[in-house]
Amino acid sequence: MTVTTAPARPAILQKPVSFAPWISTAILLALWELAGRQLSGTFVLASPSEVLRYLAEEWRMMARALAVTLGNAALGFVFGNLAAIALATLASVWPRTERVVAGLALLVFCLPLVATGPILRVLFGPGDGPQIVLAALAVYYTTLIPLLVGLRAAPATWFDLVRSYGRGRVSALVHVRAMAALPYLFTGLQIAAPAAFLGAMVGEFTGAERGMGVLTVRAIRALDVEMTWALATVATGVAILAYAVIGALARRVLKAPPPVILAAPAPAGARSSALQTGAIVTVLALLAWWGAIRVFDLNPFFAKGPGDVFAALILADDAAETRATLAGALGETLVFLLPGYIAGLLAGAGLAMLLVLMPILAGTAMPLAIALRSVPIVTTAPLVVLLLGRGATGTIVLVAVMVFFPTFVACLHGLRQAPGQIMDVLDSYAAGPVTRLIRVRIPAMLPAFFAAARMAVPASVLAVTVVEWLATGAGVGSLMALSASLSDYDMLWSAVVLVSALSALGYAAVGAVERRILTLYAPEQVA
Amino acid sequence: MAPDPAMPAQIVCTGLGKTFGGGTEAVQALDLTLAAGQTTALVGPSGCGKSTLLRMIAGLEEPSFGTVTIGGAPPSETLRHAGLSVAFQDPSLLPWRSVRGNIELALRLARRPVDVAAVEALIALVGLDGFGDTKPAELSGGMRQRAAIARALATKPGLLLLDEPFGAVDELTRQQLAQDLPRIWEAQRTTTVLVTHSVSEAVLLSDRVIVLSPRPAQIVADIDIPLPRPRSPDMVRSDAGAGHIDAVFAALSESRAGSPPPMAAQ
Ligand SMILES: Nc1ncnc2c1ncn2[C@@H]1O[C@H](COP(=O)(O)OP(=O)(O)O)[C@@H](O)[C@H]1O
Ligand SMILES: [Mg+2]
Repeated sequence: MTVTTAPARPAILQKPVSFAPWISTAILLALWELAGRQLSGTFVLASPSEVLRYLAEEWRMMARALAVTLGNAALGFVFGNLAAIALATLASVWPRTERVVAGLALLVFCLPLVATGPILRVLFGPGDGPQIVLAALAVYYTTLIPLLVGLRAAPATWFDLVRSYGRGRVSALVHVRAMAALPYLFTGLQIAAPAAFLGAMVGEFTGAERGMGVLTVRAIRALDVEMTWALATVATGVAILAYAVIGALARRVLKAPPPVILAAPAPAGARSSALQTGAIVTVLALLAWWGAIRVFDLNPFFAKGPGDVFAALILADDAAETRATLAGALGETLVFLLPGYIAGLLAGAGLAMLLVLMPILAGTAMPLAIALRSVPIVTTAPLVVLLLGRGATGTIVLVAVMVFFPTFVACLHGLRQAPGQIMDVLDSYAAGPVTRLIRVRIPAMLPAFFAAARMAVPASVLAVTVVEWLATGAGVGSLMALSASLSDYDMLWSAVVLVSALSALGYAAVGAVERRILTLYAPEQVA
Repeated sequence: MAPDPAMPAQIVCTGLGKTFGGGTEAVQALDLTLAAGQTTALVGPSGCGKSTLLRMIAGLEEPSFGTVTIGGAPPSETLRHAGLSVAFQDPSLLPWRSVRGNIELALRLARRPVDVAAVEALIALVGLDGFGDTKPAELSGGMRQRAAIARALATKPGLLLLDEPFGAVDELTRQQLAQDLPRIWEAQRTTTVLVTHSVSEAVLLSDRVIVLSPRPAQIVADIDIPLPRPRSPDMVRSDAGAGHIDAVFAALSESRAGSPPPMAAQ
């Protein structure tokens, strides 16, 4: 089943409320300044005025670093999105491949950047390669998923029209799908722009020579509070700007937005076909991994294949020890990850519901949240750790924040898509706002909530591993960083395999929960 | 040599049936021959399977049983040469293209040259003068349907399939179209199949009216309309016309009353 939503266009097309974001930004800045003044001397927080002063003094260095990172991010953005467009096009011209394409893409997206970074560094040596690849890896999935939906977001009769003139899939792609997918493409690109910047920065963490990421690592090591906050401020500003520029471009291009049909993201197939897809994806991934090492003739010292990892985890003399180390690290990570993930989801959905009951607040909060969703949260990781210490609280808060914003924006969007006619009927029964929330809006919100919950799995893994790596020194993120610096490549590759597999499984598990809950509470939403 | 796509062709349905995946029987054991160049109206209760029948003739839906041939060949052959046009029940205009852009797209898909003057003439014919650059979202429902009719006519097809094309068109425009359209398809000797809910429209426009039973669609009555052309609404209101209208109405209400013996099924 599909849901026709003529009035509810993608968030990107809704004109931003003109003053609200400025007011909320001003409030935020004022609070920040106040807090900064209160905490001055504690080496935790720099106020906006201190950040400004720092930027005024060091702007040359900042500008040079920013130019490098922006250049790499832009290249990664282009390559990542081209890959996404190519994959989505393949899946739509050849629909049988869609599940496998999406599955493989997910697996690659679940690769922990913290470990792929060092591996790419060894592969590429010094230079910009890893930054560009990581930026591309950070964006292609967030573009691919909306694009897959968008390429199907056209009524069946438009395809019948093309067929009725004797034309096939390619014409349908060119004349119908491509145009129908355009709003979705822009939605994806808008999220991708800040993500590319984040990816490039993480790439620079792995030992680049220049760029914002290099400065960030230097600032944290030196406990330079003003520099850390200045870097985070610039990164945030760039992210919001990139988000806004793509939004403006979208509004220019999409002058007459097509009426959009939101199809269920994935055909809710039988469990057997999901397992089958999983098996195909695993086999293909293993083949590609093994093949890449052969084709590029990589040095077996650091390029470990599936066989090496199998040996390290199962066959080797110290396999039990390796497994215990990995399990211990994963356990430590999960203790931070799960509470943060759940808290972020609950806070996002909860606040969205609260705001629906108080529409005045929503006008101010929505634009701010949309903008903040695009902030490369991970670059603020050191700050959160500075603020909350290296214990559990800091990490959990960071994961929660990483999960919170996308969930909040998606839920608010979903809540607003409640079908108008049903709301009218409830109005005629004088149903109160709470009744309407429970009866209509929450069921309408569920698909958006679960979409956010799925995407939040790899995102929260990224957040937790980066914090562990940069700040806390615990968990699997730290283990991967340590293995990389000790050249323990068996351990590093094993960790990559485990983390990716667990992320992908978590993603699939959320999908399973989604189908169960939707069949119970909103059967009409299940395809 | 490729057949001329504009040639009108005889349509033959033999034992035609469609059962959808869920078990819904939309059309059952239908035998029907439509003469080349004739206009046939299909009337029947909604949901009886008219659109499904039309889509099977157009080659857009695979029959579950039986066959359709157009000029002796399967519909896929006609599709290959863009020899037919469908005006879908939902106008299905691409929202990012103007009225003119939608018509031109049909010509491009059908690999026909775009004759700017001919496109303008079509836009005028359906009463959309001055709306060539307008996007579908800014048109009324009736105007969109007229744009879809213009698009269907643009490729000068030998077979024209119209699925409730006037549903949202206002009464006056409808009468105007009912006068103008037959002139086109007479000049082009188009074979036309028209699904409609309006009995008077069926009588005014067609040479033959097929009355279908409730789902699964079977033929309940097959009524020739031998009124001379060109026709006018007054002729339909005349005694001869009224007689045909009464005959169709009688067949329709009989079909609705329930389990009629399908007379054409044997
Ligand atoms: N793709 C489909 N899948 C399942 N059932 C369908 C499909 N298309 C039409 N039907 C069913 O077939 C029957 C006939 O539909 P249709 O041909 O559209 O009727 P009509 O055009 O006469 O109103 C209806 O009961 C409809 O629900
Ligand atoms: Mg119909």
